[in-house]
Amino acid sequence: MEDIETLVGRGREAIDFIVDADSFEENTVGALTFDDPEFGPGAVCGTATLNGATVTVIANDAMAMNEKFPVVYGGIIGMEEGYKMAKSVYASITADADKDLADKRAIVLVVDTPGNGPGKVEEIFGMNKSTGAYQLALAEARLKGHPIVAMVIGRAISGAFLCHGLQADHILSLDANFGTMIHVMPLTSISRIIRKDLETLQALSTGNPVFAAGPRFFYELGGVQELVTEISGMRDCITKHIAEIRTAKAEGREDDLGPWGRGKLGKERGGRVVRDEVMALMNEQFAAVADQYTAS
Amino acid sequence: MTKWTDLQSASFLESNARDRALGLVDEGSFTEFCGPMDRRPSPHLGVLGDAVEYDDGVVTGVGRIGETPVFVISQEGRFIGGAVGEVHGAKIVNTVRLAIEMLDAMVAKNPDTPEAHKPIVVFSFETGGVRLHEANAGLLAHAEFMDQVQKARGKVPVIAVIGSKVGCFGGMGFVAAAMDAIVMSEFGRLGLTGPEVIEQEMGREEFDSSDRGLVFRTTGAKHKYIMGDCNFLVKDSVAAFRAQIADLAVLPIADFEAMRRIGSEAAVDKQLALVALAVELQPKDSLDVWAHAGNEAPAELNDAPYEEFIAKAQRLAV
Repeated sequence: MEDIETLVGRGREAIDFIVDADSFEENTVGALTFDDPEFGPGAVCGTATLNGATVTVIANDAMAMNEKFPVVYGGIIGMEEGYKMAKSVYASITADADKDLADKRAIVLVVDTPGNGPGKVEEIFGMNKSTGAYQLALAEARLKGHPIVAMVIGRAISGAFLCHGLQADHILSLDANFGTMIHVMPLTSISRIIRKDLETLQALSTGNPVFAAGPRFFYELGGVQELVTEISGMRDCITKHIAEIRTAKAEGREDDLGPWGRGKLGKERGGRVVRDEVMALMNEQFAAVADQYTAS
Repeated sequence: MTKWTDLQSASFLESNARDRALGLVDEGSFTEFCGPMDRRPSPHLGVLGDAVEYDDGVVTGVGRIGETPVFVISQEGRFIGGAVGEVHGAKIVNTVRLAIEMLDAMVAKNPDTPEAHKPIVVFSFETGGVRLHEANAGLLAHAEFMDQVQKARGKVPVIAVIGSKVGCFGGMGFVAAAMDAIVMSEFGRLGLTGPEVIEQEMGREEFDSSDRGLVFRTTGAKHKYIMGDCNFLVKDSVAAFRAQIADLAVLPIADFEAMRRIGSEAAVDKQLALVALAVELQPKDSLDVWAHAGNEAPAELNDAPYEEFIAKAQRLAV
């Protein structure tokens, strides 16, 4: 293996580091095939094996441009891309509909995306539906027993990360020295929008996990389950997490997985403690009045 | 505090988050969770020298419409644009969670619980999405909310209400899209990317963010109604929104599936037909799509008052 410093912009190569050699078959998931090469080219969707087990792989192609939608390039998820990704998830659910929980195929998300399509046509037709559709599909697959692991190899930015990553059971990230970026917005833009000087924000970004950028801070918040320190380690780490997720699902510990599980992890790691206090207070307050709202 | 009867005739657009929450449910029926008296401000704004609100810019609680328990979330745009931080996020997420738990407990006790006795969730949006001051916590809360929306499927209807000044943008734009039903007044706006960012991306010739008319035509409620992206367009009063919610509150949960825009493979296929239409039409303006939908004088229709618009508007058929 050559000495690679970063996988940013190299989603297709990243797939090869993860799945069994030569096993990735693009544009086929269960009974679904994508026959038009110009359809959602920024989304790479297909089927591979990982240690012999079938997995669905969904990745970003930062080199592709969607000729029909000029704002979609460089790994941006446009309307077609979002729906293509959603279809791949539904096809995975359908293909395994009759299988036992233990045999539902895993879904591996290879994450390197800077954003959702930010154009006029996108707003006229509703880009929000495309990204929402993909998230609902992933949440459905997760709740139906498919283990979903997101592997951040490059950029995991704001709404695009919500779309492609944050509905997974577990999220893994290559460590920051590989150029991985997890954040909502660069500090310079935040500074302009919330009208705070850059120096103040830079100081804050060295230690406050709810504000600061990068995989290590997301780890503290519970947003990243585990940091992967070697590119060659991605495959084994994903395999390990798929096994852990299967165990949790088999034991009915759905609340330890996905976005809710990350909330619990954030509390454990000390990065997000107020969330839990607020929820506990609300639970107590509702319990005190619940009877009044239950018709007899 | 404004009297409940006065709230009913009030403009929804002009109403603050608490008045909307109180006015959308029956008089005197609202119990607030984690309200201002509980003093749970954001712990992350102080270090930036910013003011806090004790409810962190969102009113959450439970009320009643008739026999239906109505869990309410109501965002306040006057506080940091209604943006979602850690406390705000925890409140909105847990409200849906509580509704699902209530439903589960009810059905466990009585499998034949009448539909009208089962809870619903109503979310009055006024937000630009993630609060940048505590961006990571806000981002994670969005994902949690989407998870709860899916968990509520087939159990608790989750209804979006949009008619406030800030509109519903950023990550909250897809949260609303993911809900069972969307109710808007003509002043409501719904989208993902704000106008300034589109201008920055495409250039002012393509999209002038200072052109209010253009901004409204692109993300405004009339357009969303014609596209099928909002289910119901109501007049701008608390009473009108409340009446629409009351109609929905008694419906069997299965009826909401047909109102959804996304959330199933069949829905995605319909949306893909729309995306193909976008490629075919290459619209310069949303009114091009209105014309395609069969509206002969789209500009006039856009200016028409509510009653005339509802009577004349042809909605896009997929």
